[in-house]
Amino acid sequence: MLRKITTTAAWRISLWTTLAFALGTAVAFLIVYFLVAQGIRERSDTWLTGETEVLAQVLADTPKDHLYQRMVREVAELATQEVPDERNARGERLNSVFFLATDSANNEPPLWVGPGTADAFISAIQTAKVTSGSPQSVRVEGVRQTFRVVVHEQNGKTVYLGLSDRGTSRLLHRFASRLAAVWCGMFLLGFVISYWSVRSNLRRVERITETVARIGAEDLEERLPEPANSDEISRLASTFNRMLDRIQSSVNQLRTVTGSVAHDLKSPVTSIRGTLESALCETGNENWRESVGEAIENLDRLLLQLNTTLDLAEAEAGALELDRTPVDLSVAVAQLVDLYQPAMSDREHKVTLDLEEHVFVEADAGLLNRVISNLLENELTHLPTGHLITIRLHSRSGSAELVVEDDGPGFPPEIVPRVFERFVKGKLSPGHGMGLAFVNAVVQTHGGTVSLCARPEGGAVITVSLPVSVLQTS
Amino acid sequence: MRLLLVEDDASIQQFLKRALSETGYQVDTASTANAGEALALEGIHDAFIVDLGLPDVDGLELIARCRAHGSSAPVLILSARRSVDERVKGLEQGGDDYLTKPFALAELLARLRNLLRRSAPAHHESVRLQAADLQLDLVRREARRGDQLLQLTPQEFSLLEYLCRNEGRVVTRTMILDHVWRMRIDPATNVVDVHIYRLRSKVDHDTSHPLIHTIRGVGYVLKNA
Repeated sequence: MLRKITTTAAWRISLWTTLAFALGTAVAFLIVYFLVAQGIRERSDTWLTGETEVLAQVLADTPKDHLYQRMVREVAELATQEVPDERNARGERLNSVFFLATDSANNEPPLWVGPGTADAFISAIQTAKVTSGSPQSVRVEGVRQTFRVVVHEQNGKTVYLGLSDRGTSRLLHRFASRLAAVWCGMFLLGFVISYWSVRSNLRRVERITETVARIGAEDLEERLPEPANSDEISRLASTFNRMLDRIQSSVNQLRTVTGSVAHDLKSPVTSIRGTLESALCETGNENWRESVGEAIENLDRLLLQLNTTLDLAEAEAGALELDRTPVDLSVAVAQLVDLYQPAMSDREHKVTLDLEEHVFVEADAGLLNRVISNLLENELTHLPTGHLITIRLHSRSGSAELVVEDDGPGFPPEIVPRVFERFVKGKLSPGHGMGLAFVNAVVQTHGGTVSLCARPEGGAVITVSLPVSVLQTS
Repeated sequence: MRLLLVEDDASIQQFLKRALSETGYQVDTASTANAGEALALEGIHDAFIVDLGLPDVDGLELIARCRAHGSSAPVLILSARRSVDERVKGLEQGGDDYLTKPFALAELLARLRNLLRRSAPAHHESVRLQAADLQLDLVRREARRGDQLLQLTPQEFSLLEYLCRNEGRVVTRTMILDHVWRMRIDPATNVVDVHIYRLRSKVDHDTSHPLIHTIRGVGYVLKNA
């Protein structure tokens, strides 16, 4: 089931559009994220710089003996104000802030308020080369947090203020994970929506395909429904309908033309033939009878050709009207071979049969007989005397295969590719080049195929495949 | 036997009338459906021969009207239309048989005979056929010429039986294919003739009175001539 879905065009199209959409939104989200992160950083840096200046002022103003206490208070206040979760669940301080003041001029020990001892922080700050006016992130060995450190120099005293990045990075992290969640949601929703809409549109295309296939195979009367809105698919449907109109009118035209040609020619021929025939019934001179007989025979040949041409034209246009019934192909073949057997042995041909019994096809019995008879006539007219003709019938994988094979000279190679076209025949062939064209057209109308090949040891093989009747399998 | 022929083509009408009259039927003719209907309503005809392509009303319509007036005479439809559909429609609308133009006169006569026989009270089927000194036993499927038993294949017997049933009447190749092989095909080769030659070589072998004759351009006839 899943495999079936993944091979559909709807799946592919929606997958690609969703991927493009996802990529676009991902880029947009990243840009937003970086802009926001930068804004937050700038804001906190500005604030930190301000605080540093304040603390530097405090440092300068406060008498030395109160200094440490004052600084501790200031820093603690700063930490609780600025870092929202300065105390953890157990109420311990997490030391989010440190303060360091050095006085290089008076060579006093540095004033340190913060976690642990000042040494690690001093060396980290020196390594990071924090300069006045540009806050920097500093990692301190032994402390798990990153500190944002600002330097302020005033009267030879250097004041360092560091604020833990924890708050900011937690904020940014939360922001990023929300963005990711929204992005995933959009991705999924986008996929579902695009798959649904593409599929519902492609369903319409599929319905058109199905209907057109059915119309092509069955009758030309049916039309596709044309919805009122004129989107691409409706236009496809209406284009198909216009095309079907044209095909139907050509087929109808052909039927009319063949019908009227038949009618126009047949009435005079009937009357000529009838007059000749009734003349023949009267007694008369034997030479005269001979001539009349010959005239009738020639007339019949003309009619045969006319009928075949008309049938062929109709068959090739798919305008043949089939009267389908289940026909046992093995019986039909055997009967026709029976009929042709004496004529075959007159020409010293040997016919061998290998017929599988009860091979039913859903076909027009009359046309099928003509197909088989044309194949046999073909052998009779084209094969030089004294050859072996093998006729085989087998049903394999839903199709009945009738093979007519001979060990004669085979078809002239120049006509092989076009042998099923009208009026194509070998130079020495006595026929009109319609027999096999008719076979091909009729078999195709029945949904089958005809193929021709040469045997390696010489001789021609004609294979007719027809779909086996459904009734046979049940 | 009185027939009504409704056909608009004058030359076809003419030769059909002549041929039918020579065969022994009385023939009334009409060139339009309306004239045909008027004649048909007299109720004196044993069979109708109706062309479908009439100038005023379609032949099918004419048949339907005759049937509506209670006429039960068999109808042989003539048509130049070739489609199976037309044939089926013709037979559905009350036609009893259908012949496509151009047709062999012999076939028309045979079909007509068939129709008239069908509409006549049933007569019992004989088990023996005889023509001159040829005897066919239809039960044992044996044929004798004089006192000599003929060695025939089942197919040859059927062919001879068909010729015998139509003794003295010409049968065409198409009729033979239709009745003996039950096939409507138009072979361009001489398949039927070969069967006849073989049959003839057995039936008319060493006799001075051949029974099976070829009528060039038409077909074959079995008669004692």
